[in-house]
Amino acid sequence: MFKKKVTLKILLLLLASDVLETAIHFFFKKGALTRAEFSVFDLPSAFVFLQAVFSSPFLWAALLTVVAVFIIWSTILSRIDLSVAVPIASFSYILVPVVSVILLHEQISALRWTGILLILIGVILVSLSSKERTEQGK
Amino acid sequence: MREGLLITLFMISLTSLCDTVNQLFLKSAIDSLNFGGKFNFIRIFKFIFQLLIKPRVWLSFVFSVISLCIWLLVLSRADLNFAFSADSMHYIFIALASRFILKEKFSCLRWIGTGLIVTGIVFVSLS
Repeated sequence: MFKKKVTLKILLLLLASDVLETAIHFFFKKGALTRAEFSVFDLPSAFVFLQAVFSSPFLWAALLTVVAVFIIWSTILSRIDLSVAVPIASFSYILVPVVSVILLHEQISALRWTGILLILIGVILVSLSSKERTEQGK
Repeated sequence: MREGLLITLFMISLTSLCDTVNQLFLKSAIDSLNFGGKFNFIRIFKFIFQLLIKPRVWLSFVFSVISLCIWLLVLSRADLNFAFSADSMHYIFIALASRFILKEKFSCLRWIGTGLIVTGIVFVSLS
């Protein structure tokens, strides 16, 4: 069975998964920044760093959001096909850089935006190719 | 700075590789269960339980924890927008693994898409 009917409810779920996905990456980054001054150069220092990061609330917020996204994503995939869901959900490839610029004050050059766009198109093509295979397999 | 970039890219490759191994274990565990037909809560619950008693699923979990730890180390040294974009290289590893380990058939569209992702990562890394 090929499910492709995108209703408003599914579109809202996809939007929520995009926003939460972006939140996950933002939280992980904030968690890693709790020890920004600490430099990791060998395995013991990596453990000290990870210990500090794992006690950061941001990290646990990120992991909780991972669970939430997993549940939302399972719901989405029980209603529509992966090849339809992924292109709509890959909006986070744009959303994460935008959040990086606004909230983390990172800088993104024109060349990098071009690269991000190429990756986005690539991801959409890869997910569309799974639909092609499903149709051939019928 | 160049050297730092190479180390960061190497670490991102490591997380992507761990993710790929994690996906392969999970996929092989799920395939071995032959889950098909109708979905209902009892069947899904049974399915998850059968998955959880498979050692491969736990191996997959171990790899995702390793991947998370390396990812946190990456984020401590790299910009989020760079790390996030470069992390899409798992698409390349998964494509190669599906093709050569799982022997899945690939369409032309998938190769083009994977090629675009590679080009995109090169652009993102150069800037």
